Amino acid sequence: MNSGREVSDGRLTVEGFSVAARAFADKWKIHNQSFPPWSWVPLINRTLHLSNQQEEGYLSLEEILILSSLEESPEDESLNVATDCLEKEESVDHTILVQNQENEAHYYDFHIVYSSSYKVPVLYFRGYCSGGQPLSLDVIKKDLPSCSVSLLHESKWTFITQEHPYLNRPWFKLHPCGTEDWIKLLSQSSISTGCQMPVDLYLVSWFSVVGQVVGLRIPLEMLN
Amino acid sequence: MSETEASPTVLQFAPLYSSVDEGFWHSFSSLKLDKLGIDDSPIPITGFYGPCSHPQVSNHLTLLSESLPLDEQSLIASTSHGNRNKCPVPGIMYNTNTLESFNKLDKQSLLKAEANKIWDDIQSGKALEDPAVLSRFLVISFADLKKWSFRYWFAFPALVLDPPASLIELKPASEYFSSEEAESVSAACNEWRNSDLTTDVPFFLVSVSSDSKASIRHLKDWKACQGDHHKLFFGFYDPCHLPNNPGWPLRNYLALIRARWNLETVWFFCYRESRGFADLNLSLVGQASVTLASGESAETVPNSVGWELNNKGKRVPRSISLANSMDPTRLAVSAVDLNLKLMRWRALPSLDLNLLSSVKCLLLGAGTLGCQVARTLMGWGIRNITFVDYGKVAMSNPVRQSLYTFEDCGEFKAVAAVKSLKQIFPAMESSGVVVAIPMPGHPISSQEEDSVLADCKRLSELIESHDVVFLLTDTRESRWLPSLLCANANKMAINAALGFDSYMVMRHGAGPTSLSDDMQNLDMDKTNKQRLGCYFCNDVVAPQDSMTDRTLDQQCTVTRPGLAPIAGALAVELLVGVLQHPLGINAKGDNSSLSNGGNNDDLPLGILPHQIRGSVSQFSQITLLGQASNSCTACSETVISEYRERGNSFILEAINHPTYLEDLTGLTELKKAANSFNLDWEDDDTDDEDVAVDM
Repeated sequence: MNSGREVSDGRLTVEGFSVAARAFADKWKIHNQSFPPWSWVPLINRTLHLSNQQEEGYLSLEEILILSSLEESPEDESLNVATDCLEKEESVDHTILVQNQENEAHYYDFHIVYSSSYKVPVLYFRGYCSGGQPLSLDVIKKDLPSCSVSLLHESKWTFITQEHPYLNRPWFKLHPCGTEDWIKLLSQSSISTGCQMPVDLYLVSWFSVVGQVVGLRIPLEMLN
Repeated sequence: MSETEASPTVLQFAPLYSSVDEGFWHSFSSLKLDKLGIDDSPIPITGFYGPCSHPQVSNHLTLLSESLPLDEQSLIASTSHGNRNKCPVPGIMYNTNTLESFNKLDKQSLLKAEANKIWDDIQSGKALEDPAVLSRFLVISFADLKKWSFRYWFAFPALVLDPPASLIELKPASEYFSSEEAESVSAACNEWRNSDLTTDVPFFLVSVSSDSKASIRHLKDWKACQGDHHKLFFGFYDPCHLPNNPGWPLRNYLALIRARWNLETVWFFCYRESRGFADLNLSLVGQASVTLASGESAETVPNSVGWELNNKGKRVPRSISLANSMDPTRLAVSAVDLNLKLMRWRALPSLDLNLLSSVKCLLLGAGTLGCQVARTLMGWGIRNITFVDYGKVAMSNPVRQSLYTFEDCGEFKAVAAVKSLKQIFPAMESSGVVVAIPMPGHPISSQEEDSVLADCKRLSELIESHDVVFLLTDTRESRWLPSLLCANANKMAINAALGFDSYMVMRHGAGPTSLSDDMQNLDMDKTNKQRLGCYFCNDVVAPQDSMTDRTLDQQCTVTRPGLAPIAGALAVELLVGVLQHPLGINAKGDNSSLSNGGNNDDLPLGILPHQIRGSVSQFSQITLLGQASNSCTACSETVISEYRERGNSFILEAINHPTYLEDLTGLTELKKAANSFNLDWEDDDTDDEDVAVDM
């Protein structure tokens, strides 16, 4: 394995990931202020035999809001029958503003997690509406910009539902196979001296490709 | 700053709404299942909210997995305190064990109890020390942990002011303050927000001095603030985004202000942000008029309101179903589907997965071959499997028959196999039939006739109601009737047979009548030769190969253990090849010598042979091709039409008279004739055979 400062085979060590993640988050904060910053979520290491000085964790960007037009959702019939009418009991309070529902707000959470079996980062994400209900893939695809959807069709990627490695719930992820190949391609084309890619640029380069699939673009300045 | 005052209107507050993260329900379900059980005492929980951060969308009061009392299993440290977007707020959760008790909860008294707590905190001064208690909330819920659905209802108790507060003026903060003041207020707010000590304190004082310097103080410092300011505002994190209304937290705030400090006009500051910084365009400054009704003492507990409206605006509970992410069976199904989808998009884009998951397989025989076939079918995502087996699990079986364990001994195989499949993958649709297959050459008495005919009928119905039949029994004779029935019904039949150290796997050709009916539009020569042979055709059209000495067809219960997995697996791979082939049962047979070894676009799965014969003693395997025989005792036109015409009497005759079938088909004659020649078949149009390929 390399020294950890450079990546030559398209893959990252777990320490390299931590370094690359912080570099990515810093650059994002500076150059991409139209979005909130990524935060690093450390993991509590419960296995005693691992003596990593470097803490493990993942990058998190949450509650990205996308407004979409209100769609008719089927009303839960049973609710109307079962509940007693509180209208009678609670006095009509004129100080409560009566609102019209305008737009449906969809929220997205993104996590960049290190995969120790593929030795590359993997993007996990999920969508939910304002009440907390999870969004299905069909709904999410409608929120994506159209270029993302066509990118998905053309490439070998697909969104897959899989267990989030730390939260133990199904999240969507972009399958990581092939990552090391196109990272190698990126490093070959962008860096003139050999095929080395500095670790701190790894995630930036990676995200410049992956982010497009979920409609998150990064400004070019981040790639310097 | 001095504007003409609008005439006071009743101050209308924008309601607060809840947002329950999926993680909360996951954690709550674990808590209920692992610790609480049927205990339904109220649970103290923590809600989180922060100031509005988007001009078009209000923020909510959120429940997360860390809202519940400590989760020791979590890998992620709880980050609720000192988090700028998650001001913790105390709440209480009443979860009932049945839907009826949920509906019967006395909602008014629960709301009143929480409102009383707020009132007590106001009276005692606790609200000044820890102002977040002003936003105390209540949740009632019913968690159905069999269906993974959750019914819940939030209440945000608000003390009703009587008479209601009226609004004297309300405008964006940027319009109210001078630019110097605005800059100072922004800076002070940002400082407050950036400090871990104060960022999650949602109620505060904004003091603006006469020289436009703003500072932010804790509520408890109110007395100390008196006198040294030019303006004093009661600030709070406002989750609401609306330009003309303050958010819900202001309600109890006004109650506090009135009760503690007896103020009649209140200047308030609705603090809202964007992109992590104070936004004074979005934030509002307002003046409210609060009056004490005459005759009312300040100690009387006000009425309270606050049950949340659902997203259709009705005052009813909300409901969420999380079966897709929590039901273990559904999770298993989606994981298995994922595996197949990965195969499809990585290697076989033309794979028709829907076809596989809907095909119905009938397995005749639940022994070594039956178990292996079933397991491999499951691997391909095939969900519908019926076992037919007359026997019981013997003590020697579990080591070779992969669906059975020691505990199954003595159980009917068909029954044990079904149970085993369900244990492996709960979404399997599987059934077992305990019936014996009638066999020719095993004569029956007249008393048995009726039950044997009933068995035949049963078998026929089973074959009709499935798409594919696997012949996996341990005798040659028991394969005759199923072969005939499959040929009659034109059902796909896959046959696997074992010798001591050799195996044979083949797919039967289409039935004889299919030629005239279905194949008119197919691009094939309309000669009988195109129909591939069945297991019994081989008796006549036996390919020349070195394995004829070792007759596979003898009753063989002793085989090398490695054979059944090999043959069973090959049988399933062959089936999948047929299913994916555009011509299905009518696909012609390939030989491994014909292809170039690689997959071409027409046949992404590779070649589709007719027969595969292999030997473990040689570690070799060959593919063979055999055409249907006109004299076949199971699938020839003679036999099929005789069966169609005479039905049961035909079957009984075949069973009881050993030579009947051979006489009928002319095999007897043929054998006599054959014996007088050397075995030197000239079959002009037969494709290549006998190509031994080491595998």
